[in-house]
Amino acid sequence: MAAPAIDINPDQAQPFLKEVMDRSGQNLSACYQCRRCAAGCSVGDETDFFTPNLLIRMVVLGDRERALNNQLVWKCVSCYTCGTRCPNDIQTARITETLKKMAKAEHLPPLQPKIADFHDAFVRSGIRWGRVNEMEFMGAYEMKFALRNIKARQFGAILDEVKTQAGLGMKMTQLRRMHFGFLIAKGRKEIKALQRKSKQRATH
Amino acid sequence: MQLAYYPGCSLQQSSALYDVQSRRIFSELGAELVEIEDWNCCGATSAGKVDDFMAIAMPARNIGIAERAGFTEMVIPCSACYSRTLVAQQRMADDDGLTSEINAELDAKVNGSLKVSSILEALEDRIKAGALEDRVAHKRTGLRPVCYYGCMMTRFPYNVPVPDDVENPQGMERVLKALKIKAVDWNYKTACCGASASVNDPETAHNLMARIMKDAVARGANCFVTTCPMCQMNLDAQQEAFCQENDIEARLPVFFITEIIGAAMDIPPEELQTDRHFIDGTILLKELEQHDEKGK
Repeated sequence: MAAPAIDINPDQAQPFLKEVMDRSGQNLSACYQCRRCAAGCSVGDETDFFTPNLLIRMVVLGDRERALNNQLVWKCVSCYTCGTRCPNDIQTARITETLKKMAKAEHLPPLQPKIADFHDAFVRSGIRWGRVNEMEFMGAYEMKFALRNIKARQFGAILDEVKTQAGLGMKMTQLRRMHFGFLIAKGRKEIKALQRKSKQRATH
Repeated sequence: MQLAYYPGCSLQQSSALYDVQSRRIFSELGAELVEIEDWNCCGATSAGKVDDFMAIAMPARNIGIAERAGFTEMVIPCSACYSRTLVAQQRMADDDGLTSEINAELDAKVNGSLKVSSILEALEDRIKAGALEDRVAHKRTGLRPVCYYGCMMTRFPYNVPVPDDVENPQGMERVLKALKIKAVDWNYKTACCGASASVNDPETAHNLMARIMKDAVARGANCFVTTCPMCQMNLDAQQEAFCQENDIEARLPVFFITEIIGAAMDIPPEELQTDRHFIDGTILLKELEQHDEKGK
């Protein structure tokens, strides 16, 4: 599949580029499209034609819509291969991580809702209890998955997911790799105070 | 000697065996791992995708706790916890404003004096100090592992002092060499297993792991060795599925580095909870034990 023509939008380009650069801490203007990132991308086979260099170009040219909403942003596994190999020291995985957060702030429905829900559930558990409880956060994640599929009337998807996760859970229990206790850090008050500070920072 | 120890959430839950092994192996090597008090979750890679400030603030609290307790070095066996903690420390060292914003909310403030070590760095230090020589029995030298580093041990989202080569790390190979176990050279040592994609995007994760598996098998390895609980869980728990999907006949146990050291020290696998793998690792170890007996 050929790459689509990028929607060039000079008026939008400058503020969008600046926002992505500020938030990610990456100098996107330094990219000269050598495509080393594309050659090494772990999920290159899974993202259609979207490669890290193309994503950078889209941001630079102000194609906001597609930069915020493509397979690479969601399928990026943060393996950091692109950034390690970039001759200009651009960590593109920080850009995909930033675009995920910007898409969320704009209430765009994530292209891969399972991936978005997973990371949300994980961080929420870590902040709420001070430690991540595997069963609790996986439960929250699976509930979200089920609710979304009930709304979409995709009951088969729920059944498949239940089968897979129940099978894994049974095997883990047999192997004594399932933990039934609950982890809590007393210092979670500090963590919550830091989270309030993070929210204040985001609104300023 | 005592070292501060940050186990992280997975070593208290699905990878509790790695916690048991790490404490035991370091104690065999003359170092006590002292768990820091009331530590919290490091945020893992998820925090970086949800909240940048928290991705630094969460590991910061743990650094502060270790520093207040007077430790100069903290060992972190989990690769993701290690990466997040090292990055948070460097981000704060480079940004005084950020450091004071975070410190304002912390009981134990961060001052930057702590050395954050991966399990490989700490093991290599002990080996260099000669701690292995008295203890190692040089058993199970028939192990032919491929060393699997994955992402978090080698590549970082921020400029941090990296202790090993990013494209061809050698830390695990050096540890194995000290045990007289020959590591198998291969191409996928720093490839990605898909991490949480095994849950939220299994097709992608299975494709990535099938490639890793195919190279390991083609090179003649009889097991994987890793330091990362996420990589271990993925390659172990998903192996049956991704091998069936990709017509791979072989199955390879996925050991933590601590289990390999334990085997070389002749510690019974059950004491290290090696019987808790999806792909049974005890069969290979027993075969090699019989081989060791014959060689006597």
